[in-house]
Amino acid sequence: MSSSHDSRGSQNFEATGDYFSLDDILATQERIPCTFQTEVLNLGYIDPSLDSSNIPKGTKLELPFWLAKALCSRRKQCVTIDLPKHYKEVYRDVFNADANVVDLHKLGPYFYRFGSHLLHFEHPESPDIAKSLLKVFQARFRDIMDASQNAYDQDMSKMTEKLDEMEKVIFFHGQKGLKDLQMWETREGEKIKISEMVINHRKRKRTHLDES
Amino acid sequence: MDPSEVEFISEKESISIVPNFSLDKIYLIGGDVGPFNPGLQLDVPLWIAVNLKQRQKCRIIAPDWMDVEILEEKKQEEQESKFFTKMPCDYYMEITQLLLQHAPDNIPKADEIRMLVKDIWDLRIAKLRSSIDIFVKSDVTHAMLNYLTLMELNTVRPFLTKALDHIQQLRNNVSYGAALWSSQD
Repeated sequence: MSSSHDSRGSQNFEATGDYFSLDDILATQERIPCTFQTEVLNLGYIDPSLDSSNIPKGTKLELPFWLAKALCSRRKQCVTIDLPKHYKEVYRDVFNADANVVDLHKLGPYFYRFGSHLLHFEHPESPDIAKSLLKVFQARFRDIMDASQNAYDQDMSKMTEKLDEMEKVIFFHGQKGLKDLQMWETREGEKIKISEMVINHRKRKRTHLDES
Repeated sequence: MDPSEVEFISEKESISIVPNFSLDKIYLIGGDVGPFNPGLQLDVPLWIAVNLKQRQKCRIIAPDWMDVEILEEKKQEEQESKFFTKMPCDYYMEITQLLLQHAPDNIPKADEIRMLVKDIWDLRIAKLRSSIDIFVKSDVTHAMLNYLTLMELNTVRPFLTKALDHIQQLRNNVSYGAALWSSQD
């Protein structure tokens, strides 16, 4: 691998942290177990169980990702991080066994995004996490595709509640493709319909009248 | 792209009609059409054919491939082949849909043809889905698919592009991790 390729790869990775993306903001809220390596003065209030006003060295705390990222860099390591349990080897084995049955929504609704962010810490297990994320998606892809392309006008909440936020976006795009095609086949598109906005607007007016 | 836009594109395909009126050649941006003579067969774009048919001004002659025997054969071939086979017409779905809606009386055995075309469509979509799945599961970055029609591509496009974007991101992570590892050694 040439060096120019390397730098481009890491640039792409950094680009996934999007400043204006709401999904990204939510994903970086996820907590990571951290251990303090230095004593921190006057921040004892972060941990209500502490009596002192300082955080002593060696305290274990769960910090949000964005804070942990700032505190744990190559230059100065105020904290060391531990992997959240969903990304540990035990869970990776579960994913390997059958990724389709896992409820990714429960494991943090931003499973992939947060997992990608975790790689920033250069944990020894990072390469394995990256590979596992890709594998999990590849394994789950078929089910998402089949469900989204076959279920027309059905309640899919049983299926979608297990999906990660990213997978949900993909799922709804699949549904849109199917819906458009069905609309075309049944010639629904030729009919002129009242815009949703107009319908809702009228409703709102009526409720206003009722109240007054 | 909306399916109706794909249909719009397909309306440029030419089709044979037998008009029952006479009119001189008409000059259009897309080409000259006509002259129309009662009882004389001529080729016009599909949109003109449908429009004339709606006004009872012509009889549409079904395209050669819109025939039960040919479609049966096509279906058989599609079933047996591992890959996509070449369709007799790039817009088979759209043209069938339009003709069966507007001129069912001019198409012999219209119902059978509707069923056959739908069968072929379902076969091809199932095939398309399993090839997408194989493509995603293997770690290759490109694949070749021949003879897919625009409408077929259009149904999976929004879904597939999103999914591939996501995979690309996850792959970047893998190579990023690998690069880190090699730089630390």
